[in-house]
Amino acid sequence: MRNKTIILKGFPAILLLITCLVASFAQGPPVFTDTPILLGLGGRGVRTFGKFISKKNANVYIQPLVLPFNITPKLLAGTILPFVSKSQNNGSTQSGLGDLAVFLKYVVQQKDYSGKTIRTLVKVTQRFPTGNSGKIPPLGTGTYQTAFGIVSGYITTKYGIYGELNYNFVSEGEPNQFLYNFAFSYPLLPQQYPPRQLNISVDLNGIYVPESSKNALFLAPGIQWILGRKVLLESGIQLPVMENVIETEKTKFMFLLGTRVLLF
Amino acid sequence: MKKKTFLLPGLIILLISLVSQTSFAQEHVKQKELKYAQVKVYGMACPFCAYGLEKKLKAIDGVKKIDIDVENGIASLEFEKGKVADKKTIADAVKKAGFTPDSIIFMVELPEKETKP
Repeated sequence: MRNKTIILKGFPAILLLITCLVASFAQGPPVFTDTPILLGLGGRGVRTFGKFISKKNANVYIQPLVLPFNITPKLLAGTILPFVSKSQNNGSTQSGLGDLAVFLKYVVQQKDYSGKTIRTLVKVTQRFPTGNSGKIPPLGTGTYQTAFGIVSGYITTKYGIYGELNYNFVSEGEPNQFLYNFAFSYPLLPQQYPPRQLNISVDLNGIYVPESSKNALFLAPGIQWILGRKVLLESGIQLPVMENVIETEKTKFMFLLGTRVLLF
Repeated sequence: MKKKTFLLPGLIILLISLVSQTSFAQEHVKQKELKYAQVKVYGMACPFCAYGLEKKLKAIDGVKKIDIDVENGIASLEFEKGKVADKKTIADAVKKAGFTPDSIIFMVELPEKETKP
């Protein structure tokens, strides 16, 4: 039962991680919400960043390795290999590979104008229980998860507005989840190429569990510094606004410090 | 009088022929000297995603340098001598980068305001 509670506790953080990871395939802003823009880079990209999640009774550090590949300009496939380190307040610690994920994203709608674009994509993410869930604290959820989502955005050179909805089906009788994200991003510096950007964003990230009617909502300000064509530094913090979950499942904050380096 | 009647059309034909040949020659020279292309790109709303565009345009045979103006949505290409790509090739590269190409114009020199890549 305790093990199950810990696994359940890890769900929101891991799912938010997926959301963030998928977002990393797109333009600078926003930090925590996905974007419908695919870069069309044609593969050979490797990206990584770290997330520190402070829970009520544990700390989690996740360092994912993300390998995207553009099959066509409208279709992107990728895989996520997360390195996870968890330490509970009682002293027990585990480190290793977490749950591997693969995903597909397809642009279903694209209206391009001068200096702006309106796009929508659908995506599916499949997670596999590759992380060890037999130990405490567990590195994986011990479940197969399939998430279907839709991402839409109105992005201009002046600002960006993003919206994302996902429904995550979970195996092993664990509760499914509905994830919703909204974001507004704003570039502080004039647009130029090669990029030298400083962007700020604010996200609202939420998770709703229909089975138990539990809801968690986070406010997440973020900042990005794009140093050139291939290097992006970003940081953001997710703060709980509302957490209708049991006390031990509550998140104090989630801090992200990352870099995205395109190796081409 | 009859001679003059024949002479006048002959002169006109000669004149048209000369002008036409000169114009053709000038056009031919210009075609040979075309070195730059500018493509208006729709949907380019962020500098970071313009990297994909740069990568695809650079892959075109003969492209020497590229300049991307994100604010105005214009990509300027400089070609190697005699290796100017056609419109379809450039448009396809823009599409492969995930954007929508609009007008594509070729020129001998970039306009004054534009910075050469």
